[in-house]
This record gives sequence, structure tokens and C-alpha cells, in this order.
Amino acid sequence: MTTRTAYSQQSSPQDAVRELATRLAGPKPRLVVYFASSHYVPEEIAAEMQRAFAPAALLGCTTAGELVGGVMLKNSVVAIALGADVIEAVQVEVVTDLSNPDALVGPFASIASHFKVPNAMELDTDRHVGIVLVDGLSGAEERLMERIGNQTDVIFIGGSAGDDLRFQATHVFANGRSYRNAAILAVIRAANGFGIVKTQSFRTHGKKLVATRVREDQREVLEFDGKPAAQAYAEALGVPATTAAEQFMSHPLGLVARGDIFVRSPQQVTAEGAIRFYCSIQAGTELAILTATDMIEDTVHAVEAKREELGGISALLNFNCILRTLELEKTGRTQAYGKLFEGLPMVGFSTYGEQYLGHINQTATMLAFH
Amino acid sequence: MAGTIKKILDVIISKRGKGDKILVDIIHTRLVLRGFDPDKFSPTTPDDAELIARVRKLALELNVTL
Repeated sequence: MTTRTAYSQQSSPQDAVRELATRLAGPKPRLVVYFASSHYVPEEIAAEMQRAFAPAALLGCTTAGELVGGVMLKNSVVAIALGADVIEAVQVEVVTDLSNPDALVGPFASIASHFKVPNAMELDTDRHVGIVLVDGLSGAEERLMERIGNQTDVIFIGGSAGDDLRFQATHVFANGRSYRNAAILAVIRAANGFGIVKTQSFRTHGKKLVATRVREDQREVLEFDGKPAAQAYAEALGVPATTAAEQFMSHPLGLVARGDIFVRSPQQVTAEGAIRFYCSIQAGTELAILTATDMIEDTVHAVEAKREELGGISALLNFNCILRTLELEKTGRTQAYGKLFEGLPMVGFSTYGEQYLGHINQTATMLAFH
Repeated sequence: MAGTIKKILDVIISKRGKGDKILVDIIHTRLVLRGFDPDKFSPTTPDDAELIARVRKLALELNVTL
């Protein structure tokens, strides 16, 4: 089978899934991945999808906007059906309590057993790749990604579930059920290879700040270089401290690892002059101030480079930061962004955080299958 | 004393990287994301007891025996 994608904007989960099932009709898929607006009742959409597509493996989550083919959508559900020509084998596991340090032990034992290896560290990283979908309001993504990295060398890529900017409840889906304070892990053995795209539209600005006092569990930096964080950030940009927050979208900060940028996005200035981020920052971390570049142009180059490297893309999952979506909306370029993917079998969603080796912000992470 | 952190980071990279260039790059990035940029430590970096304790804990979490 060739990969099929579909979307529905029907308002009831039953009608929406019926429409998806019609549009995705054909040979039985091995894996179905779906992303649904939080306007659908999560338990109902998960159950309906399971009824429609089992025995395929299924996983998904709620969103802050959906992506499919050549369009960006709201209040819809999008799905991709992947067959044996793309997915040789897949195992989906649920991590049900993100606060439990041992929560990944069982899921990874099960994954190892499914792929007939002694433990997840023995999985061949050239052939296996992971998808991670996580409750986007859990604040637990950093720890989750660290624990995944402790258990396996397989690269996991994914996103934090959204809820259409309501910030009340986000859900992840597997096995016909909806979960909170949870993550879904899927390990896939690709039939014909895979590649990863990480694209963020920023370059370094030339100035750096060192986090000298932090409240890591609150994702707050109290001081940069021994000064109140907002003041130090504003000084580095040459703007008044009172206008620091206005710079956040175009000048986030970034960890730079051998030239590769991992964006840390500031969220707000607190009453005490600290900066709260969308991900945690450890004391002693050196961060580069970043400057925005052209998102459309950068994304085109990233996807085209991957298409060339793989010799074609037969399926693409796109985890696109909600901050990127908001910027596209603000500048009237959502249609242009959607069009980048026209003709590609792609689904994705606007996330509350992106995952690739760690938890990152203002980035699009994508999983491409040949 | 100096260079202990660099030594520990090198062991982590060697054992988790398994001589595979891609895995070495991945573990390097994971270390950066977890607060230890291997490029910022050298054999002359003065030993800091608190940092050494943190990097030892990190090695343990990564299932690396020192």
C-alpha cells in the first residue's frame, strides 16, 4: 500500500472518524497516527479511531491546530495510514505516570521483548526510530526525554499535545483510550529507512548569557550573569528591561551544540524580574541569544535536503511548535507554510513543545520515511 | 587536581558511542542538553566536587560504569 492521509472537520467524533475511514479506505494499514483538535471529546475520538482502524497500531494526541498535506487546519482531525511498505514492525506503549522515575522500565522491557532483543539498548539504531507524544501540560518532558535516553540509543522524535491554546487539559491516545499525565511511545522498525528533520528559524545573535541562578523545576531563570534575568536579557539586546518580553518571539535563547541550535523560548517575565521559559534550564548553562530568520525558506530547505538524502519521502510526521504557528498566523503565512508540504503524504500538529534528544521549543521536528 | 570531569565525559562518550560516529554525536548532544558540554571541559579544567558528583550521577543514569 502507499501511505494515505486524510482529514475531517466534522464536528462529532463519530462523523469525523467515519469520514476518515472512508478517505483512508484501502489495504489494511500497519500503523495509524492521528492528531485531533481538543474540541473533540478525547475519550470518544480515541475509541472511535480504535473501532475504525484496529487491528492497526494506533497512537495520537490532542493539538493546538492540525497539519495535513498542503494545509494548516483548526478544529479538525488528521490521520495518516502507514502500510507494511513503510513500517516493518511497530510496538506502541503507554507511560501512564510521568512522575514515576521507573515508569519507563516496563514499556521498554515490552518493546525489547517485541523486537526480540535482550534490552532496548540493543535495538539497531539504523533501522529503528521512536515516536513520543506527551501530555503537553505535564511539565515533565525534560525528565521523560532524559529517561528515554537512559534506556535506549534509538532516537525518539515527537511533540507535546496541545489543547487549542486553552491550557486546561491535553491528552494522548493509544489502544483506543485517552490518557493524561502520560506519554505514548512507539518504536518502529522502518521498512526502507527513515530520516529526521529538525528545523528552527534562528541564527545566533553574537551575544551569550550564562544562567547563574535558576529554579529548574519551575522552568525559571532568576539570574543571567549574576543580574536579574530580564534585565540581563534586555541589556544584551540593547532594549529597556520593561520591553524585554516584546523581544521573546524573535529573540529566544538557544543551547548550541557544535553549531546545532536547541531553542529555549522565554514565556514571560515574572514579578521578581526572572524569566520563565517553555523548558527548563540548568544552572551554569550558556545560552546564545538568537535572531529570527525566514521560517518558510528554512523549512523548505530542511525538507528538501531530507528528501534528497532519503531519495524520496513516502510519509512525513510534522511536530510544529505552536509558537511557529502563531508567528505564521501573525504574518499571514499559514497557507504558504501548508503549501510547502503539498503533494507530500504528511500529517502533523501544532505542539506545546517538540522532542528530539531532549525537549525543545520554537522548532519543527519531523520524522520522514523513505 | 584537574581534568576529572573531562575524563568521565570521555568514558561516557566512548561507552555509549560504541565507536559509531552517529551515536557519538548523539551522546555528545545529549550531554550538552543535560548540562555538560564535552567541548567546554579539558584535561586542565579544575576539579569541582559538586560538578564531579553531578557527572558521576549522570554516568550512572546512562548505565555507564566508570
